[in-house]
Amino acid sequence: MRFKELGKIFDPTEHELDFSQSPQALVFDDFVRIYFSNRKKDLSGKYLSHISYVDMDKNFKTILHVSDKTVMRLGNLGCFDEHGIFPMNVLWDGDRVLAYTGGWSRRTSVSVDGSIGLAVSSDKGETFMRVGEGPVLTSSLSEPFLVTDPFVKKIGEEYHMLYIYGKRWIDGPNQKERVYKIGHAFSRDGITWSKTGLQLIKNKLGKNECQALPTMIKIGTTYHMVFCYREAIDFRTNKQNSYRLGYAHSEDMINWIRDDSKLILKRSEEGWDSQMMCYPHLFECDKNIFLLYNGNEFGRSGFGISILEGL
Amino acid sequence: MFKWEKLGRIFNPSEVKDRPWLKEYAQAPATLIFDDFVRVYFSCRPEPDENKQYTSYSAYVDLDRRNLTKVLNVSDKPILELGKSGTFDEFGTYPVSVIRKGIGVWAYYAGWTRCESVPYNVAIGVAASSDQGKTFKKMGDGPVISYSLDEPFTVSGPKIRKFNSTYYMYYISGYKWEKFEGRAENIFKIRMATSEDGINWSRENRNLIDDKLDINECQASPDVIQLGDKYHMFFCYKYASDFRNNKDRGYRIGYACSDDLINWVRDDSQVGIDVSKEGWDSESIAYPHVFSVDGNTYMLYLGNQVGRHGFGLARLVDLK
Repeated sequence: MRFKELGKIFDPTEHELDFSQSPQALVFDDFVRIYFSNRKKDLSGKYLSHISYVDMDKNFKTILHVSDKTVMRLGNLGCFDEHGIFPMNVLWDGDRVLAYTGGWSRRTSVSVDGSIGLAVSSDKGETFMRVGEGPVLTSSLSEPFLVTDPFVKKIGEEYHMLYIYGKRWIDGPNQKERVYKIGHAFSRDGITWSKTGLQLIKNKLGKNECQALPTMIKIGTTYHMVFCYREAIDFRTNKQNSYRLGYAHSEDMINWIRDDSKLILKRSEEGWDSQMMCYPHLFECDKNIFLLYNGNEFGRSGFGISILEGL
Repeated sequence: MFKWEKLGRIFNPSEVKDRPWLKEYAQAPATLIFDDFVRVYFSCRPEPDENKQYTSYSAYVDLDRRNLTKVLNVSDKPILELGKSGTFDEFGTYPVSVIRKGIGVWAYYAGWTRCESVPYNVAIGVAASSDQGKTFKKMGDGPVISYSLDEPFTVSGPKIRKFNSTYYMYYISGYKWEKFEGRAENIFKIRMATSEDGINWSRENRNLIDDKLDINECQASPDVIQLGDKYHMFFCYKYASDFRNNKDRGYRIGYACSDDLINWVRDDSQVGIDVSKEGWDSESIAYPHVFSVDGNTYMLYLGNQVGRHGFGLARLVDLK
C-alpha cells in the first residue's frame, strides 16, 4: 500500500484540548466526522480519556466544527470503562451509529485493565448511549486481560472485529509493562461475539512485541490490515523502540501474511511524526482510501492523514 | 418446611498449625464425596499484609464419612496457586465449587483482582485435577466466565451442578457499587448459566431470586440440590451497608424452590435454620452448602464474620 502524506490535519492544542488519540472516521454526505480521545487529569493527577470529534470537509483542509463536549459519559463506579474510553470505533448501522469502545479501568498491581463496550447513537453520532454497563468482549481463558482496540466491519451478514488482547505483564525498569497481540472475533448481531482464538500477526520484534490498534479495509478480494507495533520496554521516548506502522494482508481475515515493507508510509525525518507513528485508521471516502494516524507522544500533538496512491 | 438439627462447628481454622496460608477464615464450604470420607473445600486467608489487605486461598479438610464431625486430614497446601501479574485471580481464589468429570475433578472458582476506585473485581475461573482433587491446574490464565454487558463486575461465587447431562452454574454478579459513608459497597444478585461442555456458557441474564430486604439486598452462595421431584436452592442474603458489626443486617440463609432449575420461587419461611442464641453462629449464618450422603442430607454453613471462625454442620431431620 503506497500512501501519499497530506500532513497533520488536527492539532488539539489549538482547541484547548490535550491529546487527540486514535482518530476514527464516520463519513457523511458532505463532511467527515473524526472521533478521537482527549485526556483530562482527574483529582489524583491521572488521566481520564474522553471521546470528542471534529467535522472536516472532504479535502481534510477545513475544520467545520469541533464538538464542545464528550459524546458519551465514562462508566459508573467499578465498571470496565470508568477511567477512560480510548479508542472508539464507529460504523453506520442504518440510521444509527454503532460505537465499539475500548474502556479502561485502573488496577493496583498493574496500571490498568481494558474491555470492549458497545454504545449506540440515534442522533448521527453526536451522543452515544451504552447498550449495557458491562463489556461485549472481555477477558477469557486464553486472553486473560487487556481486551481492547476494537475495529468492526460488517461484511455480508456477519460482523467482524479485529482487536487486541493482553498476553503478559513483564517487569520494566520503573513499572510493569504490558504485551499484547491482535485477535479476531465474529458476531451475527454485533452484541454476542465469538473469538477465533488466534494471534493473527506474527511477531517481528520477538515474543514481547506489542501489536496494537488494527484497522482493515477490503480491496478487491483482499483484506489489508494496518496496525502499530513497538517494543515492550523503553518505548515512550526512545525512537528506536517506539510505535511504527505495520502491514499484513489476507484473503479470509483469519490467515494473515505480515509484510511491513509493503506499507509505503514511513516516519518523517523531523516534525510531528518523526519519533512515532501509531493508531492507524483506514477508511473509504468518495472512492478514495485514507489512512488517519497519530504521531509523536501517542498523539499528544494531533493527527495526520494520507491518501492511498496504489497497491 | 425444612427442619435442621445443628451439629455444631466442625472446623475451626485457628486450630490448624504450620500452614501460614491458613491463618483464619474457612469460607464457602463445598463437598466432594469419596468412599471413606467427604472432602470439604473451603477458602482461607493468611495474615493480612502491611496495608491490611487479604489474599485468599482454597483448601480442603477430609471428614470421616461415618462421622462427619470428625476431621481426618487438612490439605498440606492450597489447591490452586494465585494468578500471574495482572490476571483476574492474582489476589485470591475464593470460593471454589467442584464436580467430577470423567476420571478427573473440575473446580470452578472466583478469582480476585484489586482495583483503584473500588476494592476488587471478580471473575470465574476453571481448573482441573488429576489427583482426586488434591491440586488443580488452571485451564488458562484468564477467566471462563468474565464480565459481560449485563453483568458488569463481580462475577463470583460459582456453584457447579450437573442435571440431565447439562451443566448448571449458579453464581452471583455485581449490580452496582454504592457508596455508604464514603465506603464503596458491592450489591450483587443471584444469576445462572448453562453449558454442555463446562467451558462455553450461556447466561440466563436475569436475577433469579426476588429481593426481600430492599433493592440493595446482597445475595450469595446459591446452592442447588435435588430432593424428591423438586429442586431446592439455599442461599444467603444481607443488607448492603452496616452489615459487618450490626447483627440485624448481616447474613441469613434464604430458600427458594423450582421445578425446572430456571424459575425460582423464594420462600424463606421454609428454610428452617437461623442464628443461634449464642456462640459461633449467633450473629450471622451464611454460605450454605447442602449435600446428601448415606441417606442423610446435611447443610454446611458459616457462622459469625462470614466464616472467620470456621464452619458448622446441620442435619436435615424433617422435610414437610
